[in-house]
Amino acid sequence: MWWTDVRRLFSGGCLLAFAALLGCKATPPGKLESGAVTFAKHHVFVGNKKQKNPLPDNHDTWTDGKEAFSHYCVACHGNDGQNTGVPFVNHISPPIPSLASKDVQAYTDGQLKWILDNGIWPSGMPGSKGTLSDDELWSIIVYIRHLPPAGSQGVPDMYTH
Amino acid sequence: MKMKYILVTLILLGAAFVPLKSNIRAQEAPKRIEITAKQFEFQPSEITVKKGQPIVLVIKSADVAHGLRFRELNLNVKIDKGGTAELPFTPDKTGDFVGHCSVFCGPGHGGMTLTMHVVD
Repeated sequence: MWWTDVRRLFSGGCLLAFAALLGCKATPPGKLESGAVTFAKHHVFVGNKKQKNPLPDNHDTWTDGKEAFSHYCVACHGNDGQNTGVPFVNHISPPIPSLASKDVQAYTDGQLKWILDNGIWPSGMPGSKGTLSDDELWSIIVYIRHLPPAGSQGVPDMYTH
Repeated sequence: MKMKYILVTLILLGAAFVPLKSNIRAQEAPKRIEITAKQFEFQPSEITVKKGQPIVLVIKSADVAHGLRFRELNLNVKIDKGGTAELPFTPDKTGDFVGHCSVFCGPGHGGMTLTMHVVD
């Protein structure tokens, strides 16, 4: 009798695990899903809308931002912030956005800082607070505001050897 | 007449000694401050220096490549892996200045800071 209960419990557990794995299958989100999530991120989840970038928007800051970006962000976003040369860009869901896209550029500087600090769950975007300094993060935002043309910066070194 | 000569001589002597005094200050040997950079801290993490006194920060890396940048003071130096670099300068304003590691050195890089107190 007890053995039957154990078997039932085991079978139930397997079914639940299988269902959970099915739920994890990475499929591209539909238009409605994307639209709802984008709206929620812009208006509800991503805070810090009003904070201004304390660094000047000039070529020196852009150069600093480009360098800081190259240490950490290029693995997923490419040298140009537009996913050039990222080998898994078409195999990940939710997809990695082009940082030049309207959706990304519509965030305020303060919101971009919030995203860089905290990441966006449950996407793969990690938080960088502590990994990069505030100065570096703010300079990255200047770089994101003035991205070079797509493809102009080549493929990240890590994917060329 | 004699008094005039004495006065002129005194003025000339005074003029000659004023620049000499400031030269002595400018040629003062810089104070050397040794700092160790390692993942993910500077040791010591705080230093106090005097405004106007020339200093040299002698920074030694105990592991990977690091950097030290004081954005406000327009100072930046890079230190090779296991190497030593010198950053000579003379602080010209008082205050607390925070320098950051300027070469990405790993997951704690963003919190690697050196605070410099410049006092009168």
